[in-house]
Amino acid sequence: MTSAIPPVLKLTNISRTFGKTKAVSNVSLTIQRGEVIGLTGENGAGKSTLLKILAGIERPDEGQMEINGKLANFRSPNDAFRAGVGVVHQEQSLFTNLSIAENIAYQKGSRTGLNRFGIKNWSQINADAAAVLDKIGFRIDPRARVGDLSFVDRQMVEIARAVCVEPGENDTPLIILDEPTAVLEQAEVAVLEREILKLRKFASVIFVSHRLDEVLRICDRVVVMRHGQVTTDRSTDGVTKQDLFKAMVDDAPVEVSRNRRALSANAKPAIEVRGLTLEGKFRNFSFAAYPGRITALVGTNGSGRGSLVRAMFGAEKHDSGTILVDGREVSNWSIRKAVAAGLAFVPAERKVEGMIGGFAGTRNIALVHQRGAMAGPVLHPRKMAAIAQTWFDRLDVNPNNIHQPLDQFSGGNQQKVVLSKWLNSPNLKVLMLDHPLRGLDVGVSQSVNAQIRQACQNGTAVVLIPDTIEEALDLADEILVMRDGEISARHDLSDVGGLAIKEIVSEMV
Amino acid sequence: MPSNLFNGIKGPIGLIVSILVLVVIFAILNPRFGSIENLRNVLYQSSVPLIVVVGATLVIQMGSIDLSVEGVMGAAGMAWILLSPNTRLDGDIGAWAWVVAIGLGLAIGLLSGIVHAKLTVPSFVVTLGTWYVGLGIAILLYGNDMLPTLTNETLARWPSRLSLGLPNSFWLAAFVMLCGILISNYTSFGRGVLAVGNNESIARASGMSVDRIKIAAFAIAGCLSGLAGILATMQLGSGSPDIGFGQLFTVIPAAVIAGTALGGGEGGVTRSVLGVFLLIILNNGLVLAGVDSDFQSGVFGTILIIAIVAVAWPGRGRLKVAK
Repeated sequence: MTSAIPPVLKLTNISRTFGKTKAVSNVSLTIQRGEVIGLTGENGAGKSTLLKILAGIERPDEGQMEINGKLANFRSPNDAFRAGVGVVHQEQSLFTNLSIAENIAYQKGSRTGLNRFGIKNWSQINADAAAVLDKIGFRIDPRARVGDLSFVDRQMVEIARAVCVEPGENDTPLIILDEPTAVLEQAEVAVLEREILKLRKFASVIFVSHRLDEVLRICDRVVVMRHGQVTTDRSTDGVTKQDLFKAMVDDAPVEVSRNRRALSANAKPAIEVRGLTLEGKFRNFSFAAYPGRITALVGTNGSGRGSLVRAMFGAEKHDSGTILVDGREVSNWSIRKAVAAGLAFVPAERKVEGMIGGFAGTRNIALVHQRGAMAGPVLHPRKMAAIAQTWFDRLDVNPNNIHQPLDQFSGGNQQKVVLSKWLNSPNLKVLMLDHPLRGLDVGVSQSVNAQIRQACQNGTAVVLIPDTIEEALDLADEILVMRDGEISARHDLSDVGGLAIKEIVSEMV
Repeated sequence: MPSNLFNGIKGPIGLIVSILVLVVIFAILNPRFGSIENLRNVLYQSSVPLIVVVGATLVIQMGSIDLSVEGVMGAAGMAWILLSPNTRLDGDIGAWAWVVAIGLGLAIGLLSGIVHAKLTVPSFVVTLGTWYVGLGIAILLYGNDMLPTLTNETLARWPSRLSLGLPNSFWLAAFVMLCGILISNYTSFGRGVLAVGNNESIARASGMSVDRIKIAAFAIAGCLSGLAGILATMQLGSGSPDIGFGQLFTVIPAAVIAGTALGGGEGGVTRSVLGVFLLIILNNGLVLAGVDSDFQSGVFGTILIIAIVAVAWPGRGRLKVAK
């Protein structure tokens, strides 16, 4: 026994393998009391798996985990909770119709005092919740209804729930925040950051985020993962975002996978917006997308680029300004008219808006452009199947079974089918994609990008909202940087040599 | 902004105001509407749907629905009258008749709840089935013999007799309402119902026994439908399998108008109670205002649609996914 205080978390050579992929590989990590650690890395770098291991959702294949000096072998999230690991997951897990206090009470389970013979002790529930809220320094009436709170306040309630963990007498809780800022607006992020810093008085924190400036602002130390391994583990002193970017992505500079196309003098835009405005989302926005060119809209989540593309597709109304398709101004714009005019839109929320999970590939692909599958007034099963088979083969959808319900496919293969649905158009003029690579692995990403390039080559105008700046630099002919609903910079890549990521980032924020 | 205009109608204050407005309008159209006599009449008419709506609200708050109300009422009502002093059978078992009749309601409610929760069948379909099971039991009990009529004067007069100036029927309903409000606000079960209605998967992940909550809600709804069947039979003075006719069409709209979303998680017993009063006053007022009885159904339905649109207005979703 040493007299020194053991670290809150000590991981030694943790590994976890799924099939052939090593999601987490030989990770060792030590966190001291009161430390705030930033954990970052690209999608698929292994962060989520590592978090799941800490939260007791997954078990490691190899390696050893110690919490507050005690060997931990979690069989369930409950074990982790009792050992003092509190997790705020990415998706919110609150009952929006109940009060803050009640939500906190549910986290604590059926401990005595709150609930006697099934009768609720409201004064005790409210007092307990007030104590927890006070502990994290969050001033709010515990009787307030969660549904009435802003997102940042809900996030604080989630943190309050995580703080209810039950570590031993002298042990320090470990609070894990999985991308808590992803859904927040800029001003709310500042609030949350302040609150997170209060946690260090009694807890250690792992803060997972893609937003590097936040990580650098809040955290004492930053840990970067790539391909399941920790590539960087150092104090945030003197670290720049550029350093972190380098640790996250493979060292090579962004490879440009296609020949950029310059704008010819007599090109006519496939779609153009003039002075388009939607209060609170985007203001006085003008740009044009030309056949055979890819235009990428780069910006933060709150920059309004998602709404803009939705408005162009008729999925959202705009307050003023005009949309021109093929040089003609449109009126009463709707999705129906947009589709008829040859527009296509791959939405970011694939499972909600992009596909019908219970339908097979055949029927999903036949949802939009049906003419080729019709026999007289009815859909012809064999023609539908033939079309679907063509696309499944062309995009190498795996498993290659057009009759299997789509929700049994992996995300990447679902995205291929969603894309097929739109590419299967007799006159595809404009292809708009909102985060087309979200949640996809490298292989699938490449084949989706290949399809985007192919469509472009065939004379389609592409409007892309990329996940990363690299993606924009890789594909686009033109990059529009959006900030707070306005264009803050335009870069025509066909005549600029190298454009630095750093430069674009500075224009975004 | 239309949404602002209608927002107020959502809360209970909006409901109370709507009820008061109706009362004033009907009182002007026919002074008799405002009389004590008519107030008692409204309370008397409301008592059966009030009892049913307490159970229905619990079920709807959970995101399920109970359509079996009318069938259960018929079965329980027939069972009760045949075991009480009546013109057909000499099988009076006194207070045990209540136990048997409510127990029958409980059994049908349990059946609905278990099939719904354990076999994960939509409650809409299950309770459509148990409605007819209940109706079938009622018809069997009714048989081909003579109509069973209550012979005990005390029992037959009980619902309309006044205590503290108000009919006993209403006091019974008020007791049920009070229990409903307490259950809903102060018990793990009542809060669990709201939690399940808001998000079932989170409820399961929080370690709640979702199935047990579901079954219990249907069981309570069954018991209350049974009780309502007894009260309605007493009010009529004779047994009929159709004793619950029209209750479903009062109770579900009442809950929905009052803001209990059919998707679950919202609303409450208090609100639903106000919703019942709104509909009963509307019905009663239309009669007193001299609306031709041929038109009443149409007018009633139209007003219902307007009310529901007004309530649902603020909740209209755009074609947009919340991030």
